[in-house]
Amino acid sequence: MRRIIPFVVLIAVVAALNGWLDQRFYVRVLTLSVVWALAGVAWNLMAKAGQISLGHSAFVGIGAYGFTLLLRGGGTSPWTGMVIGMGVAAAVALVIGLPTFRLRGFYFTLATISFPLIMELLVSHYGDPELTVPFHPENEWRFMEFSDSHTYVWVGLGMLVVALAISELIDVTAFGFALRAIRDNEVLARAVGIRTVAWKSAAFMISAALSAAMAVLWVKAVLRVTVAEEVFGITVVIVMLSVAFVGGVGQTWGPVVGAAFLIPLAMFLDDSIGESVPGAQELVYAAALVLVALLIPRGILPAIEKGCRRLATWPHPSLEQAGPGLLGRLVAPPPRPSPLLRTPRRPLRPRLSQPSDAPVLEVDGVAKSFGANRVLSDVSFSVDPGRRVGIIGPNGAGKTTLFNIMTAHLRADAGRILFKGVQVDRMRAPRRYELGMSRTFQVPQGFHLMSPLDNVIVAAIGASMPDPVAASMAMLERVGLAGKALAELSALTTAEIKSLELARAMVSDPDLLLLDEPLAGLNEAERARFFETVDELVAPHTAIVVIEHSVRSLIQYVESVVALDEGLVIAQGPPEDVVSNPRVIEAYLGSRWMEHARDQ
Amino acid sequence: MVEFLQFLVPGILIGGVYALLASGLGLIFGVMRVVNFAQADFMMLAMYLSWALFAGGFGLDPFLAVPAVFVVFLLLGMAAHWLFIRFVIGRRENHDAQVILTIGLGLIFQNLILIRYSSEPRVVAPSYANAGDFIGDIFISRVRLYAFLLSVLVAALLFLFLNRSRTGRAIRAASENWEAATYMGIDIDRTNRIAFGVGVALTAVGGSALVTFQSITPFVGFRFVVVMFAAVVLGGLGSVSGAFVGGVLIGIIQSVSQVWTSAAVKNVWVFALFLLILYVRPNGLFGKVQRAI
Repeated sequence: MRRIIPFVVLIAVVAALNGWLDQRFYVRVLTLSVVWALAGVAWNLMAKAGQISLGHSAFVGIGAYGFTLLLRGGGTSPWTGMVIGMGVAAAVALVIGLPTFRLRGFYFTLATISFPLIMELLVSHYGDPELTVPFHPENEWRFMEFSDSHTYVWVGLGMLVVALAISELIDVTAFGFALRAIRDNEVLARAVGIRTVAWKSAAFMISAALSAAMAVLWVKAVLRVTVAEEVFGITVVIVMLSVAFVGGVGQTWGPVVGAAFLIPLAMFLDDSIGESVPGAQELVYAAALVLVALLIPRGILPAIEKGCRRLATWPHPSLEQAGPGLLGRLVAPPPRPSPLLRTPRRPLRPRLSQPSDAPVLEVDGVAKSFGANRVLSDVSFSVDPGRRVGIIGPNGAGKTTLFNIMTAHLRADAGRILFKGVQVDRMRAPRRYELGMSRTFQVPQGFHLMSPLDNVIVAAIGASMPDPVAASMAMLERVGLAGKALAELSALTTAEIKSLELARAMVSDPDLLLLDEPLAGLNEAERARFFETVDELVAPHTAIVVIEHSVRSLIQYVESVVALDEGLVIAQGPPEDVVSNPRVIEAYLGSRWMEHARDQ
Repeated sequence: MVEFLQFLVPGILIGGVYALLASGLGLIFGVMRVVNFAQADFMMLAMYLSWALFAGGFGLDPFLAVPAVFVVFLLLGMAAHWLFIRFVIGRRENHDAQVILTIGLGLIFQNLILIRYSSEPRVVAPSYANAGDFIGDIFISRVRLYAFLLSVLVAALLFLFLNRSRTGRAIRAASENWEAATYMGIDIDRTNRIAFGVGVALTAVGGSALVTFQSITPFVGFRFVVVMFAAVVLGGLGSVSGAFVGGVLIGIIQSVSQVWTSAAVKNVWVFALFLLILYVRPNGLFGKVQRAI
């Protein structure tokens, strides 16, 4: 219901304005507001995953040139041209995006810049820099040649509503969870089975297709001529950025708010002083970008929501203490997982419900060097189902490198890793998680823009669980966090964050749990308690591998130990044997101490 | 062969200027991890300043105006850092804000200049603008040669500044590891401000080296944005010396491409190379592999 109301309001407002306005200039303002809202919604789909594209004019240009050429060549209807253009734009998006989606940071943004520039240069030089759209008055609807300019607004409104519906649908399904997870913490997203490259590609393709569709409407309703410099131009991207960032970046309704505010402002300013001040429109967009960057980097909508939340719980500072008031419930209800949440139907992984004799993990001859520095040489060990194995070693022994190889952050130079008999050393992190390998981080990681419940739901989605919401809630109850399921992550204590991390790691019922220095930052009592919690959560078949610096706490917990020194396995076996092994003592305490001890 | 050299030599000359333009961008990214999308518009402003000093009654030769341009843009860059950039430095959440803030600033510069000076192209033509010398069969334009020599000189001074001066060393320390730098008693905000000023001033000097053979419009920056990014990425994001090598390579490729394709699409080669580097060697030709976490 709450999601329907904005649609009703939008349709009512645009319909009323469309019926009421009849001066040409005002209808033009309304048309362009709708067109740019549509463009902003399309651009924003990519921003949901935290990816800032500066190359969307490539798709607008493809849409505009595509339908114009088809119409000129064979009299193809602009509607057909639109569909073809959308397909081409989506394909081009895949080509642009795929190579950079494995990288993080600025690379995607930088890569997107050059595509429209290349296309504009090629089209202008080898094609036509300007194409008039032929006039076809014989069939209004077939050729999108409406004699009444109000009809363009109706068509635009229809397209905008469809785009918004797609955006909303993405938000409430696994797709949206994946995109938010990627935006929030990409490393963690991959560690809980989110296939980041696939989801980003999907979002980019839909975003590109909608941009191409918008281009057809823009050219038919307003421009009337397809000009390479204009449709491939940077101004297209500037307006998309402005309406999206002003309204709310990544927010479905952000661009609608941004466009309703910015487009009329820019156009009225241009109309009144544009003669003497040629850059007035662009200055509006530029000023908006600078002000948003400095004052409300997430945009108007989130700022309003935050304000209402504060107002709604007044005089209490937070929702956790008071719960939302009536106003709060109306404007900013606490985030609740959607009933529409379904995970993609993929076959569930083969389970290891019965402990078998075959080892769950086999590390076989793994070696790794960084340049001339040999960090691991010929490391081999295996872990049986349900067993608890500790990996110890002094600083620089290669523990973290070994862990990073097991969790797919690094690739070994030599050797194999078998998980449940499957060779996994070339598999990426999400695939390993799907197979049943789960992990925690030395510095606990979380999705900070999500509630604790959503944090666990993402991991459940990553494992393709049939009912992610129920499974996640059950897991939170088991670690004692049910009462804070919808709190903000920043409101959790360090110990609670560690519990949340365990809940997230265990929700998929993994066959192997990898713990990376889990005791760091905990005191003596919390250390003992930590392993108790782990034992309460794990199923009998789950094997555990712990990397830990603190040997004393570890040997009380694990059943066998692998000791590393300078990249070599120097001892393995039952804890008491390993810690009394002279080579291990020497590695920890140094040979001089050993000589000293022998002398005594 | 002669035809090839006729494109190669001007390519090296213009590449020297690209190197200077890109070194400013690379310095700023290296020190504060900000991709400054307004960098090319600072260049545009510098070109207008050179033009104003030349055509506005002073008749000042653009090459002699370089010290003045450097000082003005050092101060302008420091002011821009103090007024805007320092608020969006740091945390990862600020990436979006950095992008839109610098894009917005660049747009403001363009449109203020458009309002004041219109979009009419401006030209700076000193008496020797069309002079040149033949070395064998290869013509070398005097202004391009001067621009190249200026760039090499400024590069040498930059090298001395970064390696010998206390401030320069602080800048290098901050670009290597700003957290460790703060522990060593380096005032990071001041270092950032100076680095931003120097970065902007370097690109500005590159701009005034261009004015004798590049006409000036409010939107001239667009032609150079991707050239600069390509040079910086080619040399490895954040490396100043890498940006220098990258700039020269870009100049050569842009120029030599004219042996095979029309001059109108010479930038297509630059953009395509930029993409190829991003896809194949995202850390640049000499870059190190990034850490996983």
